[in-house]
Amino acid sequence: MLKSKKIVVLGHFGVGKTSLIRRFVTNTFSDNYKVTIGVHITKKVIEISAEDKVSLILWDLEGTDDIVSIRNSYLLGTHGAIFVFDVSRPSTFQQLSSDLAILNEKLPKVPLMIVGNKADLVSEVEVKALFEKYALKVDFLTSAKTGKTVNELFLNLALLLTADA
Amino acid sequence: MLKKLKEQYANENKQFTLITKAGLVLESDQAIFNIPANSSIFEFHPFFESLPTEHMGKEELNFFCIHLTLKDEIYIVDIKVIPKEEGLLLIFYDLTSHYNTYQSITQTRNESVIKTELTVIKNKELVERERFKNRFIQNFSHELRNPLTSIMAILGLLCDTKLTYEQEKMLDFLKESNTNLRLMLEDTLSIGMIDAGKLNIRNSVFDLHKLIELLDFTYKAKAKAKGLNFECSWDDKLPKYLEGDRLRLFQVVTNILDNALKYTKNGGINFSVVLNQKRANLVNIRFEVADTGLGIAKENQNKIFESFNQVQSNEIRKGVGLGLTIAKKLLELMGSSIKMESTLGEGSRFYFDINIPYILFPKSISNTKSKSKDKNSKQLEKKYKILLVEDDAYVQTTLFKVLLKTNRFKINLVYDGSLVFQEVVNNNYDLILMDVNLPNISGNQITKLIRDFPFKNVKNVPIVGITANALQKDIDQYLEAGMQKVLIKPFENEELLQTIFTLLK
Repeated sequence: MLKSKKIVVLGHFGVGKTSLIRRFVTNTFSDNYKVTIGVHITKKVIEISAEDKVSLILWDLEGTDDIVSIRNSYLLGTHGAIFVFDVSRPSTFQQLSSDLAILNEKLPKVPLMIVGNKADLVSEVEVKALFEKYALKVDFLTSAKTGKTVNELFLNLALLLTADA
Repeated sequence: MLKKLKEQYANENKQFTLITKAGLVLESDQAIFNIPANSSIFEFHPFFESLPTEHMGKEELNFFCIHLTLKDEIYIVDIKVIPKEEGLLLIFYDLTSHYNTYQSITQTRNESVIKTELTVIKNKELVERERFKNRFIQNFSHELRNPLTSIMAILGLLCDTKLTYEQEKMLDFLKESNTNLRLMLEDTLSIGMIDAGKLNIRNSVFDLHKLIELLDFTYKAKAKAKGLNFECSWDDKLPKYLEGDRLRLFQVVTNILDNALKYTKNGGINFSVVLNQKRANLVNIRFEVADTGLGIAKENQNKIFESFNQVQSNEIRKGVGLGLTIAKKLLELMGSSIKMESTLGEGSRFYFDINIPYILFPKSISNTKSKSKDKNSKQLEKKYKILLVEDDAYVQTTLFKVLLKTNRFKINLVYDGSLVFQEVVNNNYDLILMDVNLPNISGNQITKLIRDFPFKNVKNVPIVGITANALQKDIDQYLEAGMQKVLIKPFENEELLQTIFTLLK
């Protein structure tokens, strides 16, 4: 059985949202940063069991430093969300708790994954210190560049969404 | 007319498509791209697969800036979804060109913001690293000063005992090594202070001729000891009095001369001071040191002014190689720069040109002449009571021995800051030797208390600070608290005694 699930990927600009999706969908990576405007939509069908498949429709939203300004139409019909920040740039996670509060208002009851991306740019010790300093709680620490835990992130969310359905 | 023209352009970049609520394409005008009739709109693009079914058919929905990739062509469109009786009317507005311009502007803006942020982060890291390095240097130097003080004091005492020729030689070696260690410590601290921007140039009038004579005398002797020639020449047109930082100028020249001595095995060293120009009240003087040493290969010539870098092999490695770095940095602080020419195997020439104001008739000249211990000690007619306040047991013992050996002092020892004030009030001391970092209360605070005491015999007792804190701001603070003189650890026995005798006079 094939189910469709819309997942929005959001966060500040330059945190690697597009790269995460590209790594997951095509298993490629580019160092060239190209700003996303509006929304890019891609699809990947994954098997979650012998009988069940899920079609993940990934909405790569334009990065913004103000979550409030995200167009509501982009969020209509969202099943799951991924909030991405850049572990090497504090400005992308300093307002994390208020960003998440706004997201919860915009997407009530929608499962959300919090992701610290660009993990290849900082050491584990630095990450630990960072998480302690800013009291960060993340679901996945990823690197679109190396591919670290990227597939796990999307697979986990897919399982969560299909289990809910 | 206008109506006709409007109709002609009204549909430009706009496509109308009618679909059923189940997603079947009923009709499309194909104005932008091809959406075949009777096909499923969900196969056209995943965007439609994720349309919110619960909202469909109830209200008009507007989606902006949607990227539709169709057979390697990217359209950036706004999409309007309008409920109709037949199903849903989709209106596509092709705004690719407009959105590409917007993308380009956003790209520039975002890149600039990210670049600025990363630069700020990097700079912060560098400042933090620099601060850590300076703190480490300061702490490390501080910790070394107490043991060095003990070593120097004991060596001084040992020199005055009966020794065999071999023991004397060994002691000379120890003294020299200890002096080198002390100089390295000073160099390390100087670098830290310059890098931290804490070293200030202090200008005062000084006698240039005497400075050159002193350098000539000192380095002639040093060169002779190494079996080298030392020639000093100077322009007789050089003004006698200059207004500059004599100490730092002396430090620069001695660092360059020491470097030349270190790396010259045969031949000699030429030191020259030449007047380049004299204008108004300013002179431009060239200081130059040429040696017949090992020379430096071209590829290494830029590296020799870097901290902790020595170009030559281990065989001749001596010191930490900070001398030239300090010279370079001090000259920069004085508005000059060091230059060099060198040929490997033939020798090197280091020089700098410096602008310094000159004075024809000086009002005051910094007195660098020291008076001898003997002369001063003869002026002492009685035994003086000295209070030695020091918590480090080794330094305490060694200084006690040094003072006792002169047979001029009665010495009492106190190691705890909280006991000092009572001790001073109850006894008439002629002088206090006061360590600064003491348990319970600092030497600085005790000095302030003593200076505030109403009775003259206590209030006016001379206090000499002995400290491992070598920063000028610390020393200024101790002097401000009321200490007459501050000695930085490690110091020579001679320097300690001379200071005491001068203050007791």
